Amino acid sequence: MERTARKRQSLLSRIMNPKYIMVYATIGIFLIIYIFGAINYGDSGFLTLRTLVISMFTENAYYGISAVGMTMVLITGGIDLSVGAVSSLTGMLIAYGVTNMNLHPLLCLAFAFAVGIGLGALMGAAIHYLNVPPFIMTLTGMFLTRGICSLISRESIEIHNDLIDALAGWKIYIKWWNEDGEWAKIKPICYINFNLLLFIIMIIVGTILLQKTRFGRNIYAIGGNEQSAKLMGLPVARTKIIVYAFNGFCSVLAGFAYVLYVKSGWNLALQGGELEVITCAVIGGTLMTGGVGYMVGTLFGVLLKTAIPTLITFNGNLLSWWGKIATGALLLLFIFIQRIVVLYSDRKKQE
Amino acid sequence: MKKRSFNLASLTRSKITWAVVAEVLILLVCFVIRPDFFSIKIQESTGVLYGSLIDIVNRSAEISIIAMGMTLAIALGGTDLSVGALVAVSGAMALKLMRWDVLEYVTPGNYSVKPFWMAILFPLITCTLMGLFNGVLIAKGGMQPFIATLILMVSGRGIAQILTDGKQFTTMYAPFKVIGQGNLGPIPMPIVIMAVVCILMGLFVRKTAFGTFVESVGVNRSASRLSGISSDAVIMIVYSITGFLSGIAGLIYSSRIMSNDSNNAGINYEMDAILAVVIGGTAMTGGRFSLVGTLIGSIIIRTIVTFVYYFGIVAEATMAFKALIIAVVIILQSEPVREYFARRSDKRAMVKRG
Amino acid sequence: MPDNIILEMKQIEITFPGVKALDQVDFTLRKGEVHSLLGENGAGKSTLIKCLTGVNHKDAGQIILDGVEINPQSPEQAMEMGISTVFQEINLCPNLTVAENIFIGRQPMKRGRTIDWKTMNRRADELMERFHLDIDVTRPLSFYSTAIQQMVSIARAVDVKAKILILDEPTSSLDDNEVKLLFDVMRDLREEGMGIIFITHFLDQVYEISDRMTILRNGHLIGSYGIHDLNKVQLVTEMIGKDIDVIFNLKRADVKADAAYMLEAEHIGIPGKVKDISVNIKEGELLGFAGLLGSGRTETAEMLFGAEKTAKGSIRKKGKDVSLKNPHDAIMEKIAFCPEDRKLDGIIGDLSIRENIMLAVQARRGFLHPMSRSEQEKLADKYIKALGIATPDAEKKIAELSGGNQQKVILARWMATEPDVLILDEPTRGIDVGAKAEIQRLMLEMCGDGVSVIFISSELDEIIRCSNRIVIMRDREKVAEVDGATCTQQNILNIIAEGSVAGKDKEAGV
Repeated sequence: MERTARKRQSLLSRIMNPKYIMVYATIGIFLIIYIFGAINYGDSGFLTLRTLVISMFTENAYYGISAVGMTMVLITGGIDLSVGAVSSLTGMLIAYGVTNMNLHPLLCLAFAFAVGIGLGALMGAAIHYLNVPPFIMTLTGMFLTRGICSLISRESIEIHNDLIDALAGWKIYIKWWNEDGEWAKIKPICYINFNLLLFIIMIIVGTILLQKTRFGRNIYAIGGNEQSAKLMGLPVARTKIIVYAFNGFCSVLAGFAYVLYVKSGWNLALQGGELEVITCAVIGGTLMTGGVGYMVGTLFGVLLKTAIPTLITFNGNLLSWWGKIATGALLLLFIFIQRIVVLYSDRKKQE
Repeated sequence: MKKRSFNLASLTRSKITWAVVAEVLILLVCFVIRPDFFSIKIQESTGVLYGSLIDIVNRSAEISIIAMGMTLAIALGGTDLSVGALVAVSGAMALKLMRWDVLEYVTPGNYSVKPFWMAILFPLITCTLMGLFNGVLIAKGGMQPFIATLILMVSGRGIAQILTDGKQFTTMYAPFKVIGQGNLGPIPMPIVIMAVVCILMGLFVRKTAFGTFVESVGVNRSASRLSGISSDAVIMIVYSITGFLSGIAGLIYSSRIMSNDSNNAGINYEMDAILAVVIGGTAMTGGRFSLVGTLIGSIIIRTIVTFVYYFGIVAEATMAFKALIIAVVIILQSEPVREYFARRSDKRAMVKRG
Repeated sequence: MPDNIILEMKQIEITFPGVKALDQVDFTLRKGEVHSLLGENGAGKSTLIKCLTGVNHKDAGQIILDGVEINPQSPEQAMEMGISTVFQEINLCPNLTVAENIFIGRQPMKRGRTIDWKTMNRRADELMERFHLDIDVTRPLSFYSTAIQQMVSIARAVDVKAKILILDEPTSSLDDNEVKLLFDVMRDLREEGMGIIFITHFLDQVYEISDRMTILRNGHLIGSYGIHDLNKVQLVTEMIGKDIDVIFNLKRADVKADAAYMLEAEHIGIPGKVKDISVNIKEGELLGFAGLLGSGRTETAEMLFGAEKTAKGSIRKKGKDVSLKNPHDAIMEKIAFCPEDRKLDGIIGDLSIRENIMLAVQARRGFLHPMSRSEQEKLADKYIKALGIATPDAEKKIAELSGGNQQKVILARWMATEPDVLILDEPTRGIDVGAKAEIQRLMLEMCGDGVSVIFISSELDEIIRCSNRIVIMRDREKVAEVDGATCTQQNILNIIAEGSVAGKDKEAGV
């Protein structure tokens, strides 16, 4: 037993395992940008926890929720371009159901879940059994869903509903002892809203699924080498279909979070959202080739992705278009880091 | 007899067959609903051909042109997501060079601030260079094409906006109008440009060995390199071509609206072009490609759109229709289904022979 | 001893469209034996294995495992019945840890819900210890060498409580030490009573490890023998149905005494790959490269071809300095190179035989000077005929050919460029005896035409049989150069084993 312990790496080198480097890089760059922002725009409030939580977390929680499912799809080596459209459809279904048909919002949500999960499973099955490239299959899914959105309504539908309002307004204030030793809301005011709660829950659920269940490990195996996974007797078809179905679930949940945020449904909502979500996952260290990715990485990927527009907003002199360019540059940077990590570990292996 | 049944089997195995069948079916439906669908007339005032079919081909020009390059990118085992953004860049740049300048002229009119050749050449050069940038990332940086081109897809529209300071310029300069709205004899200009591009591309890939090199690199990059093909150069050339063609498409698009529209120009073009290529029978995994198939694919996509417009279906539902028809084509083209049909016709042939 | 029999396959018949792949083949496997399955490519070995593992389905016959008739429909089903297979290509996931690769799909669970990583890693440690492997099981599989990956896949196969273990060419990418390690494991498993079916092209290994062997030829059973019933020559004769001497009746190339130097490399090297090497080769000479895998022989060849750019030194061709920055440069200098990994670096799988053959010629001409279709067809037909490539026509996909025929197509690709120097890196690996002999004959023919051939191989007997001179490499440098006509296998083995010091002495003597 002692021998076994010895040949394992030291704790430090295990933490520094190259497979985590991308996650560290994400966290590191996020911190740099944050500190940069804090120094330059500290007075305007970039530094305050409130700005961080509200601007970056709560306003972008729907991207995060969707990114949880997308990370899993990417780990299998697939891709899902339908997520933005499915989220938008969720909004349409809830808005149309509540406003035009006077249905209970939860009933509409349940229906949306059925649609989203069903579509995901269908696409997963086609991808697996018919060998259709995921890109094409989910692109078709996206067109279909967007089309249905437009069939429901061509205009934005507002939602006025007590439950939706209540959930949208729900907050947990973060409290701490103030100078007088009283347990009170910290200042500036800082809270967790329902969307953020959903996001955090989904990240935890995603982590448990990926790291602690056979299902999760099968996802990694499929991404590593699908043929091998098949020959090792793993349930490849089932796993892939569930992953796409789960991603459908995440998209609907993200759509729900978006509804809470804007309190309306719009057929063109979240257009291009799928690429935002993929960008979050990639910046978080998920490899598009499959087999590598962590939920923690995705969490920081979302933070980092949204930190940039925030930063640019704070600098009033820049056109908001710079945000897009900065995101592109960030992607470039990350992929270079990934390449360097791969080259470095290859060289180390050779030695 | 034997020969014919063999051909039937290989026909059902071919992906292009299904694409052609799909196009013919859609057109037939159109014909049944509106018998004048196929009529082509000459507009008396201008002497230009018009009619639904002409319109379909005319409107498919941008996607067809881009899809020619996309076919090569996909044959290399990659994709180019940046084409839509490059369309926006090209338009923005052309308009920036021609724009009506308040300081110089009182009203917008038939003039260009910078020489016209500049307004044509600079956008094309810029787009080619941006395509080359993609190619360098992929060939020299070893990046996956999806990610490498995602970079410009994300930031391209930002660049277009910054070129024009986020403004929308308009022009009334007549020579520019010719590109998208003019005509050569009786044929609308976009069709002419598209035909020239398709023919030149066809000659380029099939009359030189470039097509074979692309297929070879797409199947096995390292073996191709060891056989003496400069795989990196092939990749960079292909992505430059795709960029260049996006530039042309951008000029056509902005000439149609005589304006730059960085938000909407070329939106979803990458998706349409990729679909056109795949419907045309080129596999996303790379290797064998067919430019003719791509052309058919791109026309199918436009036919669907026109179909929807013509028959009073809600315009926004176009996407759903597109999806349904594409789904059918994709399923018919999928390996298991093609194998099934091929096996059946094999069997039938065997029965006939036996 | 009927109760000793674990597997019986009786009168197996499998027909593919137009071909009878197996015709009334019997096969028996006993507990605690290593049983070699032998035959040329296309003899039906893999069809028999695929039938046993449920990939192909038999048309007639019986499979009896442990006294019960079975009919596996898929590899998973076969695995559940106790039939585990380890293929030549490693069928594991490189991104997962060693432990996970062993246990995935059947990980130990905590309270039946979540994966118990600790127990899993501990059990993997124990298993690796049994295999005499001192590795960290929490590292990703891709961190380790092919040999260790191969071991891990055997460990996985064994740990699923297999009764029968099928090893399909497990040794083709291993070096001698690694093969020894594998054989130790196989012996242990044999002691434990497992039945092992072993498929290989290396006949020495058959004699080293097997207890019995079964020979197939053209889908027919030739016979089952004890390992001492046949000697190597008899075995090969049975396998190919011809006398071995006829096949290997090769004459070493004649190098004219006044032959000029074709290629001279001086002090070339790449840090971390090859230290510093000088070699030269004359017109019409066949220069052998011997040495273990990883000794730097492949890297040297790659430098001579420009696939890897040399960091120092100089290369002269026909007395003229040349700079080889990439393969294209080398092709322009009429140097050709058949790489070691045929699948990865050689064939363009989806393209036809014709296109595969014309590729290098076309690459030299550049894409602006295309060969006409008829030119291509003429070229392809010429080489299909000259090399005896077994195919109905030149339009067949190369991926659909057997290994030996693929190798011939690659060879044709380079012969078509009419090279001055032809470098062949393990051209005979993984192909059957008949094709091997043919490729060697072709090499020597080319030498006769004045081509200089560099021949890299792990099999010493073929190097000695063909080479005029042999360069011996070890630890990324050249340790000796011996005369091909006079040296023996033992000489070379000694030099490789003794290492550089002894080797350099000998070099001085040659």
